[in-house]
Amino acid sequence: MSRSGSLRAYLLTRVALAIPTVLILLTLVFVLMRVAPGNPIQAALGGHVSQQIIERKTHAAGYDRPILVQYADYLKDVFTGHLGQTITDKTPVTRIVVNNGSATAELAIAAFLVALAIGVPLGVLAGRFRDTPVDTGGRLFGIFVYAAPVFFTGFLAQLVFGVKLGWLPTSGRVGPVTEFTLDKPTHFYVIDSIITGNWSAFGDVLRHLILPAITLGLLVSGVLIRLVRVNMLQTMRGDYVEAARARGVPERRVVIHHAFRNALVPVVTVAGLQFATLLGGAILTEQTFNWPGIGAALVRYLNLRDYIAVQGIVTVFAIAVVVVSLLIDVINAFVDPRVRY
Amino acid sequence: MAAIRLGGLRRTAARVRQARGVPKWLLYTGLAIVAFFTVLAIFAPLIAPYGFAQVTSGGVHFPKQSAPSSAHLFGTTVQATDVLSRVIWGARTAIEVVLLAVALSLVVGVPLGLVSGYIGGKLDRALVMLNDALFAFPYLLLAIVIAFLLSNSFLGQGIVTAAVAITVVYVPQYFRVVRNHVISVREETYVEAARALGAKRRTIITRYVLYNVVQNVPVIATLNAADAILTLAALGFLGYGIQPTQAAEWGYDVSRAIDDASAGIWWTGLFPGLAIVLLVTGFTLIGEGLNDVLNPLIRSRRIRVPEIPEPGAAAREQEPA
Amino acid sequence: MTRRVRTRLVAAVVATAALVASGCGGGSAGGGGAGGTIIRGTTDQPVSYDPAGAYDLPSYDVIYSVYQNLLTIPPGGNKPVPEAAQACDWTNSTTYKCTLKDGLKFSNGDPLTSEDVKFSFDRNVEIADPNGASSLLANLKSTDAPDPKTVIFHLAKPDATFPFLLTVASFAIVDHKVFPADKLQPSDKVIGSGHYTVASFKPGQQTVLEKNPTYTPTYDGDEAAKNDRVIIQYFNTSSALKLAVQQGPANGGVDIAYRSLSPTDLSSLKSASGVNVVEGNGTEIRYLVFNLKLMPGDNDAQKTAIRQAVAYTIDRDAIANNVYDGTVQPLYSMVPQGLQFATEAFKDRYGATPNVDAAKKVLADAGVKTPVPLEIWYTPSHYGPVSGDEYAEIKHELDSSGLFDVTLKSTEWEQYSTDAFTNKYPVFQLGWFPDYPDANDYTQPFYAPNKESFLNISYSNPEMTKLLADEVATTNDAKRAADFKRIQEIGAEDAPTIPYWQGKQVAAVRDGISGVEQTFDPSFIFRYWLISKSS
Repeated sequence: MSRSGSLRAYLLTRVALAIPTVLILLTLVFVLMRVAPGNPIQAALGGHVSQQIIERKTHAAGYDRPILVQYADYLKDVFTGHLGQTITDKTPVTRIVVNNGSATAELAIAAFLVALAIGVPLGVLAGRFRDTPVDTGGRLFGIFVYAAPVFFTGFLAQLVFGVKLGWLPTSGRVGPVTEFTLDKPTHFYVIDSIITGNWSAFGDVLRHLILPAITLGLLVSGVLIRLVRVNMLQTMRGDYVEAARARGVPERRVVIHHAFRNALVPVVTVAGLQFATLLGGAILTEQTFNWPGIGAALVRYLNLRDYIAVQGIVTVFAIAVVVVSLLIDVINAFVDPRVRY
Repeated sequence: MAAIRLGGLRRTAARVRQARGVPKWLLYTGLAIVAFFTVLAIFAPLIAPYGFAQVTSGGVHFPKQSAPSSAHLFGTTVQATDVLSRVIWGARTAIEVVLLAVALSLVVGVPLGLVSGYIGGKLDRALVMLNDALFAFPYLLLAIVIAFLLSNSFLGQGIVTAAVAITVVYVPQYFRVVRNHVISVREETYVEAARALGAKRRTIITRYVLYNVVQNVPVIATLNAADAILTLAALGFLGYGIQPTQAAEWGYDVSRAIDDASAGIWWTGLFPGLAIVLLVTGFTLIGEGLNDVLNPLIRSRRIRVPEIPEPGAAAREQEPA
Repeated sequence: MTRRVRTRLVAAVVATAALVASGCGGGSAGGGGAGGTIIRGTTDQPVSYDPAGAYDLPSYDVIYSVYQNLLTIPPGGNKPVPEAAQACDWTNSTTYKCTLKDGLKFSNGDPLTSEDVKFSFDRNVEIADPNGASSLLANLKSTDAPDPKTVIFHLAKPDATFPFLLTVASFAIVDHKVFPADKLQPSDKVIGSGHYTVASFKPGQQTVLEKNPTYTPTYDGDEAAKNDRVIIQYFNTSSALKLAVQQGPANGGVDIAYRSLSPTDLSSLKSASGVNVVEGNGTEIRYLVFNLKLMPGDNDAQKTAIRQAVAYTIDRDAIANNVYDGTVQPLYSMVPQGLQFATEAFKDRYGATPNVDAAKKVLADAGVKTPVPLEIWYTPSHYGPVSGDEYAEIKHELDSSGLFDVTLKSTEWEQYSTDAFTNKYPVFQLGWFPDYPDANDYTQPFYAPNKESFLNISYSNPEMTKLLADEVATTNDAKRAADFKRIQEIGAEDAPTIPYWQGKQVAAVRDGISGVEQTFDPSFIFRYWLISKSS
């Protein structure tokens, strides 16, 4: 079979497999939300009006219909793209996903850049100078930074840089007034402020982005350091590296030109694997820094028992993760000929 | 079967004893830290000066949010409980939850991975799809939802609920690693040979495959223990974890302390936070050390450089004096 | 990396740093004119700015700013006065008639007539939104608009509190040309005739209100908005809100932090520079509920004795000071201070401070063995994390009297709010928020017999039931005062519920902001239009 033929087959198989995965996730979400006690009306009005009124409203809203009927409706809505309106604040779910999702995406990208900037050089150095203080230092740094809960480091950072020194703001994505006045064609504030030439907004956006991005980025860099280091060690033992050394290539060139490049290939995979860490950390970072992202929205709607919001958001979450891992596998398939189905 | 598993682990232990240099120090430091916390956990009633929800002693009500002093070494919280006691009792909660979660994950994940990897076929494909689906779910979200669900069931909010929530998140990891390893091992020649010789499937799985695969488990288990503590703290921080009157939990204490910190009250959050960092570091060091020692790709062994005598020396030696 | 690339990279980093540093003050409260922009931070998030879809305080906040009602409570007052109406009165015991003022207009220029009023009430009942307050209109049979300036309400039964009902934000007047009759209007597209218009609404982030230039004051004490723009910024934790008010708008923070700051936050802000803590009487209450079927006690006399003993033992001052740092005040009746007809019946009967001896006597007289085992439930987060501290304190008080042995239990709100009212908890915590500041709203829901009370605790006292029916049917203040005095006395004697604190409205405001204290009154209307900022 030709290379492109098997690649195509591989891609098709992966896409085909993604669909049942998404279905399972959707069912999981539905079951979890419905099985848990209470409903949005109870959450909103309980303790303020009598049970009879609550039951009447629950019936009117259709929450006491047979569960299979509700499930069928749910699936129909998802597959026709009607994610609906949230129950608790009547907002179209797609709007939440776009606005909050872009906030989380911006944070995640910034955090990942920070993680790369810190984690890759440290990991390479640790691998290169194995078992020296540089190596141990780098590894310990990686371990500590991952062990410190992101809500702990985040709050310490807020306290030092926000309250004590007063250099940086401690919550939100941008100041209240700028939030209102900035034009947002792409919903990525960094890009939007550049496109519209709003330079004071640009500065404001960056100032709000620094602390959360560094806090979350440090967390991921901890993992990156260890992974890059291990890859470096394995690569530096590789035959072609030995061959380069035997040819008399200086060690520095060996590291940079041979080992480094190949050690980076798994970084793409690592990026995908860390997506889950980023999203998990994002929930906590968003909580700590009051960042209006998809994680914060999720926690809020979960507390309000807002089925529709939670289902919609988690659906998009799940599809995003599936798409990202698909992309990772595709890139891997292109790069590494051993990976085929 | 237990003997077989022990056999595999004995090989692991041997390699650990052979460790030298940095991996050895990582390993031992990690073990020391974890041992310290385990001692705290086991002897909490004896070590902790007060109970985790205690607000009076000898008829005197504890002061609220008081700084570290001789009466309260780490100070008191906004609920007038002793911080030091809550940190020590929190160690018990953390160790209990982690042990339970890791044990449950092993008991569920390893056999599933074994069976699925070895037998293959439809069962394998179905399990892998389910596994990938669980993986795609953001882990913290999954833990939150499960904790949410279970806390409203007969289990209530407590250690078992937290442990089960963490288990559900980590079982896919064990499953995936074990299964992948099983797949690579089952094609090995010695396994084929065993099959050719007519060994029962059960024997092959337990004697050959498990023996090999189980060596991966300690590394994953310690790294997962570290993650489990972080997940437990995250659940406590977000309010889905254990209530303060049921048990002490570091994540919950940090979440209450955030209010305090901006008012200049640093002791209610610093100590539980440090405890989390230390214990997680301890488990991670063990995992890293084990990985260094066991992973053949990066393991370094002390090689004794042989002494090669200079040419001619041997001949000279043989000449009569 | 080559030298050229490196230089370029360094230049880019330096440029970005400069921009970032220059961004200092980028979030300043810029705004032309004398009015300026007021930024209020809060942790409460609204549901809908369509009156038919709202029954919660944060939505009410904005609705009161954007719409007019027929009647309203003026600043510092506790009785309704005409707002959009010229005059309102009863024509008979079940008919209430209002005439509208001249020249009323919505912010888009449409005239406000009785057609709009009828439309607003009809659609509220028609839509019956799950989050709305249509259940409050159960007594309204129909609304008539015989001419553009007259509205007539036909009630099924006499109800002296109906004028109060007309002041509730859920019954604000909407533009019939803009709002659909059968579903809600999106929150960012609402049109009202009030002090402001909604310029933008981003759920979870902010609401922006802008001054309505065509608004004219309609009652004594009313004025056009003293500021040009209000930004309501949402925070997910009280600690973030507290930091924001400490930093102020110049650093991307807020001018006013209102609802909800924790007691620790407030204590710390009291001594912070640039910030003042202001307070006023609030109308939120906290109380202990006894389920008469499930509570301990072999017969009614014993059960009453146990409740009375708890009323004697509970230490309200300790709760207010130790747990809440003085941000709440002790409450001695289900009707809070500041409302018309409020008394302090529990203080009159049980004393202002704990009286353990009297408690002992009451229990001994009824033959109750001590210590009485009490299982008390609370919910850990719905009323704020302080609930845990609060109930730890209550347990401490009751246990140390030697008369009780308290076990504390808790569940999260979702489960709690169902279980509490379906006979699962013997003794439990509840909070109450008024729909409108009339004493009826603080007595009828709790003291009505059996299932008529939403508490569903099997309480029923015939004298109480009659008094409740009487006070709602008469508009004679003196008669109502006498009825409520007796109602509160019986409430203290029977003690099916024991109130223990009344919240204060507390806000942290930055120096230079004034007007917040003036709007703190029993109506719970946060009047943005009275707030001004001096630089």
